[in-house]
Amino acid sequence: MVKILKATNSNRKDDDSKKKKKKNSKLQPDSIAMKKVKATKSNPFETIWSRRKFDVLGKKRKGEERRLGLARSLAIQKRTKTLLKDYEQSGKSSVFVDRRIGEQTEGLPEFDKAIMRSQRERQLKLGKKSKYNLSDGEDEDEFEESGLGSFQEKDDFEDDVPFEDDEDKELGESEKRSAILKHLSGHGGRGSSETGLAEVEENRRKTKKEVMDELISKSKYFKAQKAKDKEENVEFLEQLDNNFTSMVNSEALLALTDPTKINALKALVNKSTSDSSGKFDVLSSVPKTVSLQQEKPDSYDKLVNEMVLDRRARPSNRTKTPEEIAQEEKERLEQLEEERQKRMHAADDSSDEDVDGSRNEDASRRRLTSISGDDLGDSFTADDETNTKLGWINGMLEKHADEVESEEGTSSEGLESDGEDDEETGDDDDDGDSDEDFKKTSSLKDWEQSDDDKFDTDLEVEGGRTGDEENSVDDDDEDDEEDHVLEGFKKSKAVEQKQKNLSDHDNVKAVPKPLNQVEDLPYTIEAPKSLEELSLLLKDRSESQIVEAIRRIRTFNAISVAAENRKKMQVFYGVLLQYFSVTANTKPLNYKLLNLLVEPLMKMSTEIPYFSAICARQRLLRTRTQFVEDIKESGRLCWPSLKTLFLLRLWSMIFPCSDFRHVVMTPAILLMCEYLMRCPIVSGRDMAIGSFLCSMVLSVTKQSQKFCPEAIIFVQTLLVAALDEKSGAYHDSQLYHLMELKAPKPLLCIQGSLNKIHPLDFLSILDLPEDSPYFSSDEFRASILVAVIETLLGYINVYEGFNSFPEIFLPLSKVLHKLAGQMHVPSELQTKLQDVAELIEKKADEHHTLRRPLEMRKEKPVPIKLLNPKFEENFVKGRDYDPDRDRAEGKKLRKRVNQEHKGAARELRKDNYFLSQVKDKEKMRLEEERAEKYGKARAFLQEQEHAFKSGQLGKGKGKKRRR
Amino acid sequence: MVRPYGVKGKKRKKNREVYDKEEEVHEEIEVGVDDEEENVAKRSKAEEDEDEAKAQQVADELSGIPIGPLDQDDKKNGVIFILERASLEVAKVGKTYQLLNSDEHANFLKRNNKNPADYRPDIAHQAMLMILDSTLNKAGKLRALYVRTEKGVLFEVKPHVRIPRTYKRFSGIILQLLQKLSISAVGKREKLLRVIKNPVTQYLPVNSRRIGFSHSSEKLVDIGDYVNAVSNDVNLVFVLGAMAHGKIEKEFVDDFISISAYPLSAAYCISKITNALERKWKIL
Repeated sequence: MVKILKATNSNRKDDDSKKKKKKNSKLQPDSIAMKKVKATKSNPFETIWSRRKFDVLGKKRKGEERRLGLARSLAIQKRTKTLLKDYEQSGKSSVFVDRRIGEQTEGLPEFDKAIMRSQRERQLKLGKKSKYNLSDGEDEDEFEESGLGSFQEKDDFEDDVPFEDDEDKELGESEKRSAILKHLSGHGGRGSSETGLAEVEENRRKTKKEVMDELISKSKYFKAQKAKDKEENVEFLEQLDNNFTSMVNSEALLALTDPTKINALKALVNKSTSDSSGKFDVLSSVPKTVSLQQEKPDSYDKLVNEMVLDRRARPSNRTKTPEEIAQEEKERLEQLEEERQKRMHAADDSSDEDVDGSRNEDASRRRLTSISGDDLGDSFTADDETNTKLGWINGMLEKHADEVESEEGTSSEGLESDGEDDEETGDDDDDGDSDEDFKKTSSLKDWEQSDDDKFDTDLEVEGGRTGDEENSVDDDDEDDEEDHVLEGFKKSKAVEQKQKNLSDHDNVKAVPKPLNQVEDLPYTIEAPKSLEELSLLLKDRSESQIVEAIRRIRTFNAISVAAENRKKMQVFYGVLLQYFSVTANTKPLNYKLLNLLVEPLMKMSTEIPYFSAICARQRLLRTRTQFVEDIKESGRLCWPSLKTLFLLRLWSMIFPCSDFRHVVMTPAILLMCEYLMRCPIVSGRDMAIGSFLCSMVLSVTKQSQKFCPEAIIFVQTLLVAALDEKSGAYHDSQLYHLMELKAPKPLLCIQGSLNKIHPLDFLSILDLPEDSPYFSSDEFRASILVAVIETLLGYINVYEGFNSFPEIFLPLSKVLHKLAGQMHVPSELQTKLQDVAELIEKKADEHHTLRRPLEMRKEKPVPIKLLNPKFEENFVKGRDYDPDRDRAEGKKLRKRVNQEHKGAARELRKDNYFLSQVKDKEKMRLEEERAEKYGKARAFLQEQEHAFKSGQLGKGKGKKRRR
Repeated sequence: MVRPYGVKGKKRKKNREVYDKEEEVHEEIEVGVDDEEENVAKRSKAEEDEDEAKAQQVADELSGIPIGPLDQDDKKNGVIFILERASLEVAKVGKTYQLLNSDEHANFLKRNNKNPADYRPDIAHQAMLMILDSTLNKAGKLRALYVRTEKGVLFEVKPHVRIPRTYKRFSGIILQLLQKLSISAVGKREKLLRVIKNPVTQYLPVNSRRIGFSHSSEKLVDIGDYVNAVSNDVNLVFVLGAMAHGKIEKEFVDDFISISAYPLSAAYCISKITNALERKWKIL
């Protein structure tokens, strides 16, 4: 032990100091306090606080403030306690461990340590094991060092053992003991305090035990109480049960309750002797309710019974398909035909029943009309015939306005009929649309199926036949055959007229006459195979009858009824078209009939679209070749005939005009434009036809806004023709040179003054011969100018969206101005001309303002690219806003590791610094020591040498000398 | 020990520059396309789409006509704006940190013995919007925008930032900036806003003319004339105050002018300046 103490310098020092303390403790109790004061000598650096760099309002200053210097010195202190000790131990093979009591706990004064030791000593002594151990004396020696004398007495007294034994439990004993201790207390305060402590401990232990006992006894008591209560309850229940059974058995209850329940009750009671009472309740309640139900008639049952009696919804008839409807219609017609036949025979029998028959017929017809409400052709019956050719006016004018919507706009019948026609067309369109898809598909399929073998031949047959007929018609308008037919028609017309008149006066009278003449219209008519058949069929019939006949043919041979009907209908369509064209060529034009024919033709062409398109194309082709031939031989009439015009009009109604490219309409438009372009204007009639064509082109191009320069040039030519300048009048227009043949002379120049302008009657004009004086009259000129201007207005409205509008129309406005300034122009026309000119200029101005001068293209400056900043709505400092949780977690951990790493490195660095300091100090100390030793030795040697040199020996002398 | 700030800063700067130069060339096309799509998607404004479509149409129509030469703007000169004394201050109100403003935190400010009237972050917001929305910026003439708060925090705003239009979002971004010290772009690592070290003069280019604005200045000038008089190779630095009351310090300012006889709001003053410059450089 001594060795170790010697080996460790500092340790020894420590120990020494401790020992000193220990020694000093008793001698100078206040020396510790003195030391403490000495230790807390103020280090000025420790008073420095950390500075707050950036003040944030409302932020608590709690964690931020630190005393930097203090922290540093504390860290150094800590190192001296731990690291320094380790360092000092590092070179040692053994350790001195101080196991003395109180030495482990720091900060305990020396005096307290001593107290603890003595306590321990006593406790050991008082332990049961050492009860019988005799004290060595040595032990007590140390302990009782201080008060030796007084314990001598106590030794005798303490001989009786029970005192020590019972001191734990017996209060009296303890009191006694305390008294004894009191007695003893005179020897030293230490002893008394110790016993006092023991006493307190004793008290506490006792109370605890007591409390526990009390608790246990209490809980036991409560348990007993509970058990008792339960027992009582059971007894009471049993008693009640017994009472009840006795009551049930008695007569009193029997008298009071329902007899039905008694048995159950009894049974229950018998059971209940064994069963619980709760069960009994449940069981008793069930039969009660059952009995109640049996007594009452159930409302639910009633309802169920009623429901059985209720009627159920029955399925209605299924909606009919178009084919079925057609079939029914056909059957109905057949039935009607039979009836008619019967009636016919009956009429033969008795002539006086003629009237009746006719009446019947009339009635049936009326009924028919009323029944077939969807067939709007029927509305053209007797009543409509009255207003035939009343309003054959405004033909041209109204065309501009409402060409597209009303197919009869050109016809310009009376207003009433117009309205009706409008409705008609609307309905037709609807019907067509609804049926069209279905029919188209089927028909197309059929066509495709029969494409390979039938198609060509069929077509050729059809085309050939129609072509033949057509050729004959076209080649010379008044062919013999046709003549015949036409005459026939004329006759029929005449008859019709008569008939009409008659019917106007009185219907009843008029009817028998045609009945005698013409055979009644059959209800079932086979589709006619050729024009002859048809004309035979329709010969001498009234218009309404013709329409009715066509309707019946169509119904009877409806495509949807039978497959072979398609072919029939195709043939019939060709024939009907032919009939239409022939009718159009008749000299006293039956315009109404034509109008009536339009409707079935349109319907049929929707049924057989492919075939109708082919027909139209064939006709167009032929017309064109005809036209080309005509124009080669100049001088011949090359303007289209009325028939061609009507056909063109018909096609424009049948086929969609607004399609970009259409099999029929595109060539049709081209043909019209060619007419306008190439035909020379010779007479007034040409002008009329040309202007009609112009308006037709307008109507066709209105929707699609196709640009037809030919029409506009034609209009311009007509206007120029109205100028009175003789030569070189006009060459401004850029398109002017395109015109092959210009108007050679001012045909339309109005020479005389005119009061009133009549609207142009187109059909009547066409009926007039070429060199009629009317064409050179001012009246005609004015009216055609009006018509032309209206057409022009239409073109302006259609083409106003064009970018080239000013270029197209500005030349026209100049002409118009000139024209307006001319002599003899009626004021009405003048204002019209000026209005149109102004309109053109206004619109041209608008276009001019919208135009931009040509300039170099500018590259758009590219703005700098903007970037969105990334930020959070509610930013909290320190939170990771990474959406990937794992990554955020990883980042956090990595940061933590870094932080720890840094901290560890810092600590190590500081440790090293501290150790190096310690080593330096040690080194310095050793150095100093060495230097001192060296100095001492050197001094000694020097002294010796000096003595030797000076001849003096030994110190004594020196000392002496010094002294 | 942590690395010294200076070293880190330099390194990053170097990196960034390299990155920019590399990427700019061969990412231009991709990014351009992407950005356009993004823009369209994000804005989803019918007008803009239409405009673009129309412009495209016009371009298509005129395909035959040669493209006029684009006037090459010399990148030598630019404009720098410095907003001084912007009252952008973060405080812990209740449990959360918030950007103080006079409307919402009047009571809080009074409790802390501050004048609520001084806390006007909306002025800075407006001013920043004015600067960054100007066609001057769109044309790439704005070099940088520096904002220095009342408490002395200086931060740089890149010219191509799209600052939030609403105050609430603006306050969010500033809050994050002042706590996190930088804001990066969406989907990119580029820092769009960054707190930097004072003083601001170290970031100004060498041949720059620093012009301070104050109503208190005796020198009342027409900004148009004043700007026109400055030669083209000089960088203009405009120093304005973004505070409700008071005036800016004129330490590093070369010239201290007033451009109106009336006291102007910061935003309007900026618009006057930018308009003058746009007229000078013919930016339409």
